[in-house]
Amino acid sequence: MILIQFLNALQFSMTLFLLAVGLTIIFGLMKIVNLAHGSLYMVGAYIGLSIFNYTESFWLALIFAPILTALIGAFLYTLLFRHIQNADPMKQVLLTFGLIYIGLDSVRLLWGTMSHSISAPSILSNPVLLIDEPYPAYRLFVITIGLLVLFSLYFILEKTKIGAKVRASVDDPETAQLLQINTDKILFYTFALGCGLAGLAGITVAPILGVEPGMDMEVLVLTLIVVVVGGPGSLKGALIGSLLIGFVDSFGKVYIPQLAQIIIYAVMALTLLFKPDGLYKR
Amino acid sequence: MLLSLNNINKSFGAIKVLNNVNIISERKECIGIIGPNGAGKSTLFKVISGNLKQDTGDIFFNNTNITNFNTEKRARLGISQSFQKNSLFPEMTVKESLTLALTHKYNVSFNIFNSLVNNKNINTDAINIAKDIGLSDYLETKSDNLAYGLQRQLELGIAIACNPTLLLLDEPTAGMSPQETKEIIKLIKKLSINYSIIIVEHDMEVIYELAKRIYVLDRGSLIFEGDSKSVKNSELVQQKYLGI
Amino acid sequence: MRAVNYNPKLRLQLLLILLSISIIANIFGSYFTRFFIAEITILSIFAISLDFIASRGGMVSLGHAMFLGIGAYSTAILSINYGISPLSSTLSTFIIGVVIGLIIGYFIVFLDGIFFIMVTLALGEMFNAWVFTSDFLGGSDGISGIIRPDFSQIGIDMNNPLTFSFYVILWLLGIYFLLTKITDAPLGRNLDAIRQNSHRISAIGGYTKAYKAIAFSLSAGIASIAGSLYVQLNGFISPELTHWTVSGEGLIMIIVGGIGSISGAILGATVVHIIQHELSNIINWWMLVIGFGFIFIVLFMEDGLWGLLERIQKKLK
Repeated sequence: MILIQFLNALQFSMTLFLLAVGLTIIFGLMKIVNLAHGSLYMVGAYIGLSIFNYTESFWLALIFAPILTALIGAFLYTLLFRHIQNADPMKQVLLTFGLIYIGLDSVRLLWGTMSHSISAPSILSNPVLLIDEPYPAYRLFVITIGLLVLFSLYFILEKTKIGAKVRASVDDPETAQLLQINTDKILFYTFALGCGLAGLAGITVAPILGVEPGMDMEVLVLTLIVVVVGGPGSLKGALIGSLLIGFVDSFGKVYIPQLAQIIIYAVMALTLLFKPDGLYKR
Repeated sequence: MLLSLNNINKSFGAIKVLNNVNIISERKECIGIIGPNGAGKSTLFKVISGNLKQDTGDIFFNNTNITNFNTEKRARLGISQSFQKNSLFPEMTVKESLTLALTHKYNVSFNIFNSLVNNKNINTDAINIAKDIGLSDYLETKSDNLAYGLQRQLELGIAIACNPTLLLLDEPTAGMSPQETKEIIKLIKKLSINYSIIIVEHDMEVIYELAKRIYVLDRGSLIFEGDSKSVKNSELVQQKYLGI
Repeated sequence: MRAVNYNPKLRLQLLLILLSISIIANIFGSYFTRFFIAEITILSIFAISLDFIASRGGMVSLGHAMFLGIGAYSTAILSINYGISPLSSTLSTFIIGVVIGLIIGYFIVFLDGIFFIMVTLALGEMFNAWVFTSDFLGGSDGISGIIRPDFSQIGIDMNNPLTFSFYVILWLLGIYFLLTKITDAPLGRNLDAIRQNSHRISAIGGYTKAYKAIAFSLSAGIASIAGSLYVQLNGFISPELTHWTVSGEGLIMIIVGGIGSISGAILGATVVHIIQHELSNIINWWMLVIGFGFIFIVLFMEDGLWGLLERIQKKLK
């Protein structure tokens, strides 16, 4: 029983991580809080839905939904974000708030207001037995995807040259400038990658939670909390924040259901009171 | 004695930026602190203004121990500062900026009922200060639209408007043309009649012109103290400044 | 955050224009128009509360719907559970809002820009989550059966939308004059300066945090009044009122109107609400229009409609 809750919490944490890591990288690099990050997650899920409906293949949806979401991200970057990089932070936040409206209405017009579901691929649709308890294989798959992303990001950032450049740009923009790292190019790719990961979160969650308008809002607030708790701009913070919020939320819902809704906000409030810069200050 | 700094030490990590610094300033005295780049002038300035806390050492102002006071509290006691990099209210006009600073002199900043525009004392004061700092012709100009030299003058104006006893000036001539520098020196000379002043500068000529007493700072330690003549004649100082 | 030019004259002119339009429309309008005017007026009060802290103190709050909710729910509870008269309830909600605003403000005014936004957002969502689960507050059903003030003794029927509209317009005017007074007074000018350069206000001995906390709590109180009037207009409250997007819509209003002029916020609330309402009747992609329009204004019309008015005013001279 506890194992199942643990796995549920881990799966939720991994989904949050996929979202938070994109948001936090974008914040670290550009000092922009992209409120439309949840919209990209929703769009990713819807694109996945369409691919799934046409091709009847979940795997194609899994591959192409994130790629197409990344392309949308690249498009947004070129058209909008690139030009507001040095603008007033409020202006940036408000612009991304406008994007939420556009995202929500586009989805509504293209896919309607009904909620849809995607079924998990047959190979993952049967539960597996974990110490006598049946557990949905698909959730294990989502955990695996999250861990894969985590490790590849770790590898890219720690072991490759481009990763070093990204880290330098996030952690220490001044040094990055001194080293003449072409930030614009890095921004473009990381922004697209961040959006792609949001899309990946959207499509992987679709078989569990379904696809519906409004899914963007719920997840946006949670992701923002993760980022604030973890420390904006910090990759390790995004991981720790995701685990903390994911576990507190999942276990809270089981053990103290009356307070479950409020407890994550309390975690955030406490973090801010005692560590205003987040758990992982850069 | 107006201000005294006793055995101030400050390190950033392994680097010792201020090493046992002692400074004393008398009432209505104009003091200069000079030193080559990286000598710790800015750190010292921030320690006096309260923007930075020293590791050890005490600061007394007017017989009050202000060691643990933050900037706001020190300002209320009468320590006002002008910044090396202009720190103005970009959307406010010269007059608005000065009347605003004057609300702190008259202790009315919490007032919510009386329009500031109609406050006679404050408006007369603001016009007088504008005259003193040579901005009478720019009362209705937004700070952002002033020429750089004039912005530096307003920077000083805001500092004196809140009625300080001690003025801290951080490189008041930074980035100015020779003509503008002359103007500001004239202005500070005028101010030194009424205020105690501490100037931090790396332009020695400015300091010679203004300061009665000069402290020379090098790599965090005071290496010399005296009037401008003795500083000019000191071999040690000349070596530090010119020998490198 | 940039605010519009400090221009008390245009501020008053714009108020008078909007006021005359609303009075005329209210007198000659239909039942529906009158209801609509009351709604816009209440939204204007909410927008003003956001405008005040955004321009005075530079605090952008994405959690202000919480205070709308505090006003609405406390009015409902005070008048239904405790039988307190609707007018006294509205006055009490102001005090409740101010007190809660002061407590919250005390803890959050030290936060800058983005952090302030995120924390207010999270606080608002926390309140929203609590409201949805609280049986005492009616959960997702909300509370209904809230009555309007009763002035029948002096021959005024508040259930007539004509009189109720005038009633809320009076509230708006009162709040307008209170806030313009503060804006022009030393405290307001200091708050304006804090938005531009809070560092310098500290350096000249200002009580930066205290000013901001006062402004925040006042704004919370005013948002609470808006919430109180809103439930009296509709007779019921639904927890959706406290969702953070309601705060977001309030911000859209003040940006469309132009931040920092108070009457600009009223103009913004009017225009945005009319567009939302009328557009959604004609086309079903009105949110796209709002989204793109909003982005356009943020990018290219920094002073919103106020900036436009100022240019017209200059041309007329």
